[in-house]
Amino acid sequence: MITIQNLHKSFGDLEVLQGIDLQIDPHEVVCVIGPSGSGKSTLLRCVNGLETITSGSIVVDGIDIGASKNNLAAVRREVGMVFQSFNLFPHMTALENVILAPTRVRKLSKSEAVERAEKLLARVGLADKRDSYPAQLSGGQQQRVAIARALAMEPRVMLFDEPTSALDPEIVGEVLDTMRALADEGMTMMVVTHEMGFAREVSDRTVFMDKGQIVEIGAPADLFSRPQHPRTQDFLNKVL
Amino acid sequence: MDAFIEQALGLLGAAGWTLLLCLTSGVAGTAFGFVLGLMQISKNPALRWPAVVYVTVVRGIPVLLLIFFVYFGVPLLLGVNLEPFFTGFVSLALVGAAYTGEIFRGAIQAVPRGQSEAATALGLNAADTMFRVILPQALRIAVPAGTGFLINLVKDSSLIGIIGFVELTRAAKILSNLTLDPLGAFLMAAVIYFFISFAISRVGALLERRLTPQFGARKPRVDDPALTPTGH
Amino acid sequence: MNLYFGDILPYMGQLLTALGVSLGITVASFVIGGVLSIAVYAGKASSIKLLSLLCTGYIGLFRNTPLLVQIYLIYFGLPVFGINLDVFQASLIALSLNNASYCAEIVRGGFNSVPRGLVEAGEALGLDRWTVFTRVTLTPALRAVYPSLVNQFVHLFLTSSLASIIGLPELMHAILEINSQTYRSIEVLAIGALLYFASGFLISLIARVGERFLFRWAVNV
Repeated sequence: MITIQNLHKSFGDLEVLQGIDLQIDPHEVVCVIGPSGSGKSTLLRCVNGLETITSGSIVVDGIDIGASKNNLAAVRREVGMVFQSFNLFPHMTALENVILAPTRVRKLSKSEAVERAEKLLARVGLADKRDSYPAQLSGGQQQRVAIARALAMEPRVMLFDEPTSALDPEIVGEVLDTMRALADEGMTMMVVTHEMGFAREVSDRTVFMDKGQIVEIGAPADLFSRPQHPRTQDFLNKVL
Repeated sequence: MDAFIEQALGLLGAAGWTLLLCLTSGVAGTAFGFVLGLMQISKNPALRWPAVVYVTVVRGIPVLLLIFFVYFGVPLLLGVNLEPFFTGFVSLALVGAAYTGEIFRGAIQAVPRGQSEAATALGLNAADTMFRVILPQALRIAVPAGTGFLINLVKDSSLIGIIGFVELTRAAKILSNLTLDPLGAFLMAAVIYFFISFAISRVGALLERRLTPQFGARKPRVDDPALTPTGH
Repeated sequence: MNLYFGDILPYMGQLLTALGVSLGITVASFVIGGVLSIAVYAGKASSIKLLSLLCTGYIGLFRNTPLLVQIYLIYFGLPVFGINLDVFQASLIALSLNNASYCAEIVRGGFNSVPRGLVEAGEALGLDRWTVFTRVTLTPALRAVYPSLVNQFVHLFLTSSLASIIGLPELMHAILEINSQTYRSIEVLAIGALLYFASGFLISLIARVGERFLFRWAVNV
């Protein structure tokens, strides 16, 4: 589904990604963990073109992102993203947030989009909040609306950029539950997170990144209990 | 070409009068405005309210109306007939006082309270606190708004032509009547005004840079709308 | 020195009608200038160098020269090109162009304050640039600078008095006419000042109240 080959990304003189190779299969859930500054968010943001690639290639569902503007647009239609700061459109209700892209990009009629939106809001447990504005919702509710908004485009892949980092601890659970349900339904997911519990229980493979490189990849059972690389051991000792 | 140079020189001469008018009324307005600014933040209501009323009223009426008020009012109220220059001077000074009053108020209030507290704790009296501690910092904060005020003053001076003083805009109007070329005359005037504004902006930017190192690398953050460069 | 306001009473109707003209031309030029300003802002921010330069030049020209010169240029200067405008048209155009240059800068501040994350969310959803501009960032941008826009409206209302100089029958013009008829200068100027001031005050007040209604979604902000 996602093939990343020899990806390099620099911000000016600073090389943030130093040759990343990663393959994510359909229906796979991959969690990316690592210390701040390791480049994990940058990697995620390269997959849907929010960051431009310096060299290397990213192919999503057979489409090479860097080849053309049309390709980028096509990839963005198939890839959904959930941000750390939710980024809901503040002047629109939850429902309006969810129907905007389907009507404008997928060219759905308003009634079709509303039907889809209502189903999705119900799925994330917020059917009764359809007419609420983001300012009236808690952080966890906003994030769940953001998930529904991304799902409304019926993407093949979902990217999550530290989706629970900005939430109060009591609320983290409701968002993780939503993500878990999504994974159980077979969505291909790439998740950058600090929630080790989630990575351990839900991911098919966990990637540990440090200083712009993938240090270790493995099934969570292996990576968390028997980390091979000293830097992985170091990091896990600090956070667990 | 000779005609062009002659006309340009004529307008530049008038521009000189514009600058003189703005300089004099600007200084007077700023001095008066400084007093108004202090009055507005005074704890004494007898000082505060007249200043607040003055500033609010003057900023709430058209400048043109104020000019006519002075033009018609001074002869009627004081029995003196003023030269157009002096009428312009008084009007622009009155307007200037209201705008600089707001700028001073905002700038002084933007200086962190801790500064005056520290000064008082050190035993400085009110005058020293204001002039040695608060004002220098307030001045830095006031520069962008002050630059905007000066540019507005130059633009407002164009209205003094209406009551007969031959400043730049009126000179351009007279020129356009003589040459029957309004486009040329007013475009020339516009260019001269533009350069004057540009010069003021440059000086303002220079002043900002010169004053900033005193307060560390960061520019002071201010939210008061009176302190934005657009002035109004 | 005796003040006698009674002489002005018969002219109150004329003053109020003229006030209506002032308000009318203010609203018209604010709307036209406002829409234009968004286009000018977009032009200035665009990646097409020539367009960006033109817009920057336009803003610089209209903000650094007196409104009176702009009015003269449009009313007296355009006939050179065969464009003859009456006082209404010339005033409207001059005020609109002037207003647009100020609003463009105000609007720029508004757009700069919109969190980058909203644009990214829009892009991630596959929305095209036009949709992101109009549906995602425009409303929050305007909301952010609403107070400045209200101030600009009141400022435009006050400076519309300059149109009296080319003969537009608005409030300032009426004041001067009544003055020349009654010679009650201080009285008519005072009443005129009161009308301008009260109108500006009411506009600001209504705008404040309207803010909560217009931007219902900004509950906590």
